[in-house]
Amino acid sequence: MDNSGQVKFEVRDSIGVITLNDPPANELAIPEFIPVGLFMQWTSDSLLKGLIIKGEGRNFSAGGNLDEIFKISGNTAALKSMMQDGLNLLNKIQDLEIPVIASINRVCFGAGLEIALSCHIRVASENALLAFPESNQNLMPGLGGTKRLPLLAGFSQSAKMILTGDVVNARDAKEMKIIDHIAPRDMAFDYAWSLMQKMTHDRPVKVIRSIIRALKNAMELTPDKAMIEETRLFCSLALEEGERRKTEEA
Amino acid sequence: MILQWSIENGIGRLTLNQPPSNTMTMAFFHELKVLMDEIPAMQHLKAIIITGHGRHYSSGADIRELLANVDNLIMLENYRAFVMLERLQIPVISAIRGVCLGSAFELALFSHFRICAEDAVLGLPESTFNLMPGIGGIQRVSALAGKAKAIEIILRGNTFSAGDALDMGLVDAVVPRNYVIPFAIAFANDLPGNIYTTDRSIYIHKFLSPLHAST
Repeated sequence: MDNSGQVKFEVRDSIGVITLNDPPANELAIPEFIPVGLFMQWTSDSLLKGLIIKGEGRNFSAGGNLDEIFKISGNTAALKSMMQDGLNLLNKIQDLEIPVIASINRVCFGAGLEIALSCHIRVASENALLAFPESNQNLMPGLGGTKRLPLLAGFSQSAKMILTGDVVNARDAKEMKIIDHIAPRDMAFDYAWSLMQKMTHDRPVKVIRSIIRALKNAMELTPDKAMIEETRLFCSLALEEGERRKTEEA
Repeated sequence: MILQWSIENGIGRLTLNQPPSNTMTMAFFHELKVLMDEIPAMQHLKAIIITGHGRHYSSGADIRELLANVDNLIMLENYRAFVMLERLQIPVISAIRGVCLGSAFELALFSHFRICAEDAVLGLPESTFNLMPGIGGIQRVSALAGKAKAIEIILRGNTFSAGDALDMGLVDAVVPRNYVIPFAIAFANDLPGNIYTTDRSIYIHKFLSPLHAST
């Protein structure tokens, strides 16, 4: 299925902005809502310092188009590969070595929430609503949400949210640690942009990438291996900074 | 000595002693390594409290010295000294007053407990001078505060208050400045000797509850 045009990409001041572009609901036709090759091409820009994902118009996203899923559900192989492609894209988002912020206004349901959870930081407007409604249709979150949500909210809160399919407002979502910041009504993007500036403005790309990579290593490698890598990254930055200061003094 | 060490009633006091900012120089790390080798043999030691001399805990590493001596092995040795501290069987408590930044905050993060003054200022500002935390702070912050907060505070490099640190799970208790040391001593006396048989959160809660009841 063609999903070009469903998503916009632009770069402003070294920050990439991906916009889910099918308002008002910004429904996702298929889980791989950006062809993964295109996503990698967008984010391979070596000058890029950060990425923000937002929805066009009022909402973030109401989620996936379940009709598509039910349409091919007889074809196990096709369904599995469709879900796998979506999961693969979300893993690519999570693995980026630049900070990724989800800017969430209003509705953020299902696959929309899956996207938000694959981002590093979630900023939601005070009128944002989050849910995994899949169980109402006798389904379940299928793009890693069952794994990502408990890392933030713990097992029991996640079980409750996924099993009930209930909508969670921004304040409760913050309490549950699903979102990191609450922005004023409909102002998620301005908040996310300002936070991104504070994190990346005046920071060389190499510093940003080294820090995110070290954090990734801390989650994925043994402590000793992560530390050897961290030391290597630190020393590389320190050597450059030492040289820079010498040149400046000369 | 830049690192002052004394034992009183079975509790060791490790003081960063280069006021006013108690900078952590290469000499400090050397003295720390020597002390870490000696501590396991100190039979009657039941806890360690780490503080800074004077107003502040410490402003962290001496950047000029550090940049003039960039060396993977030195950095890893410094990290190993922190790990030795963390692996001690007895509880290690950082009593944090004033400034606690960079490597000093990393040292505090390798302690088992962090008792913090209300006026304390904490942070990992390395990225603001084109560096990154280099002695394991990245690992500890992400484990305690989660990846999102870790990315934010390390990339921003901003300082934050004791209250914010408590909210993020980076410190265990916040008390008025004058109570930090007495609190740390009383807490050390209340802890069972072996840190590995202690549930950290239960102890902090148990110890704090009478305080809450009296206020």
